[in-house]
Amino acid sequence: MSPDILDETTEIWFGPQHVSAHGWAAKLTLVGDFVVECDPNAGYFHRSAEKCLEFRNFRQGALIMERLCMLEAFLAEYPYVQAVEKIAGLEVPERAKVMRTIMMEASRIHSLQFWWGQFSAELGLFAMLLWPWVDREFFLDAFEELSGSRHAVSYSTPGGVKYDFNDKVLEKLDIAIARFEDRMPVMRDMLMGSPTFRARTEGIGQYTLKQGLKFGLSGPPIKACGLPMDLRKDAPDPNLAYDMIDWEVPVTESEEHPGESDAYDRMVQRFREMETSVEIIRKLLPLVPEGPIVDPKARGKSNRLPEGEAYGRVEGTRGISTLWLKTTEKAQTPYRAKIRGPCFNSYYSLKHLVPGAKFADFIVVFGSLDPYPGWWDR
Amino acid sequence: MGFFRNLGDIFQILRHVFRQVMSRPFTYFYPFEDREYPERTRGRHIHVREKCTACMQCVRACPNVAISIDKSDKHYEKDAALFFDYTRCIFCGMCTQACRFDALFHTKVVDISEGEREDLLYGPDKIETLDRDPLEWRGRRFR
Ligand code: SF4
Ligand code: SF4
Repeated sequence: MSPDILDETTEIWFGPQHVSAHGWAAKLTLVGDFVVECDPNAGYFHRSAEKCLEFRNFRQGALIMERLCMLEAFLAEYPYVQAVEKIAGLEVPERAKVMRTIMMEASRIHSLQFWWGQFSAELGLFAMLLWPWVDREFFLDAFEELSGSRHAVSYSTPGGVKYDFNDKVLEKLDIAIARFEDRMPVMRDMLMGSPTFRARTEGIGQYTLKQGLKFGLSGPPIKACGLPMDLRKDAPDPNLAYDMIDWEVPVTESEEHPGESDAYDRMVQRFREMETSVEIIRKLLPLVPEGPIVDPKARGKSNRLPEGEAYGRVEGTRGISTLWLKTTEKAQTPYRAKIRGPCFNSYYSLKHLVPGAKFADFIVVFGSLDPYPGWWDR
Repeated sequence: MGFFRNLGDIFQILRHVFRQVMSRPFTYFYPFEDREYPERTRGRHIHVREKCTACMQCVRACPNVAISIDKSDKHYEKDAALFFDYTRCIFCGMCTQACRFDALFHTKVVDISEGEREDLLYGPDKIETLDRDPLEWRGRRFR
């Protein structure tokens, strides 16, 4: 580049009208084709979820939570339910624990399949947009059979779950998983072996484990650096069934740059996450015990909670989501709810990851971190 | 090596494409045909007025204040007229779970789009029945 090009900078807004930027916008400063400054902006998706939670009672709050991230609805609503259960001291029946865990893992697969299609489309590989999404429909069918809704499932409730498994649900879940197991390895190898894909993702958005922890990342972006940090294993929740079975936390250790992760490693990591989820579901399905699905006293106990505060947290698809809930004596609604989504950190880490990259690689860095606007605008 | 690998990849892709071409389409020719909805589908509600006791539990359970009740409007001994505001309803199922008297249900009817906003306010005459005028558009009738 000639020196006078370097003197001139161009500012452009990526989003909020851009098709890939669904509810967010970043101001990019370009020199030639290179990004020198990236300024991510939050606020385009703001629906004041935390304030809304203060006006809903303890059974209705989970509905707001699942709307923060529709793609992982089973997982997103769980921190609230867990916090309410902790404050009210509710017991969850064994059957509900296992059913919750199975559906949360199914939700993880479905969310990752959505991301897989979307990320491929952002790279311009449109066949890979539609193929994972077709398989994802089968999971949605199972969710619909279970709860009556494809996305806004409203499944967990304080003290158990709302809808019971029946033969049709199990059959549809089985079809979805069998189809996934059949087709995923073929499509994965096709995508990961493709020279176009490798050229677009290798060495893009690279950071070390130390940097990642400093950004406050969690979930797949950290596990792709080789650190097995997983809430499901590190702090098993007594109201979920992860400790009933043996399973390994999936990690990705890159051979070329150990302790670091680039967009390619994060893709590999997410495929491993899906495989682990399938393994967990397969192992848990025969273990569903008989019994009630909800604690009969839960309805009365969750009407008015005692004074207290509690943390609810879950290992979501995109990282650790937590919710802090404070209640006052005999109140019907929370005094304060504070949500900490995993994506605020990954979104703002773009500020450090993008400068130096080419303009066309910006969306690759963004997509590989998989942020969802609902988690930072709450 | 690279040549044979690429050839193998192309065969894989062709096999995949062939399977896709041969399989049933995943889309429906809506509104002329429609898919089958599961038993638990949370579509628009139906209110069975004979069984309603005007206990107001559905109104209290609704997170979005989508239901309002008129207790003075009576057809039977103790019932009430329910008004549903489908511009607010999120089809969460809280109201049907709260009703202990089998008087409020979700139905499988999910296509409730209307041309006018006011038409989405379902009064007692609309919420108690599933019958409705067929939709007409450019001289064609849809279901
Ligand atoms: S389905 Fe939910 S939002 Fe709709 S009327 Fe019933 S409680 Fe209210
Ligand atoms: S529909 Fe059910 S919950 Fe609502 S007022 Fe009637 S009986 Fe009560």
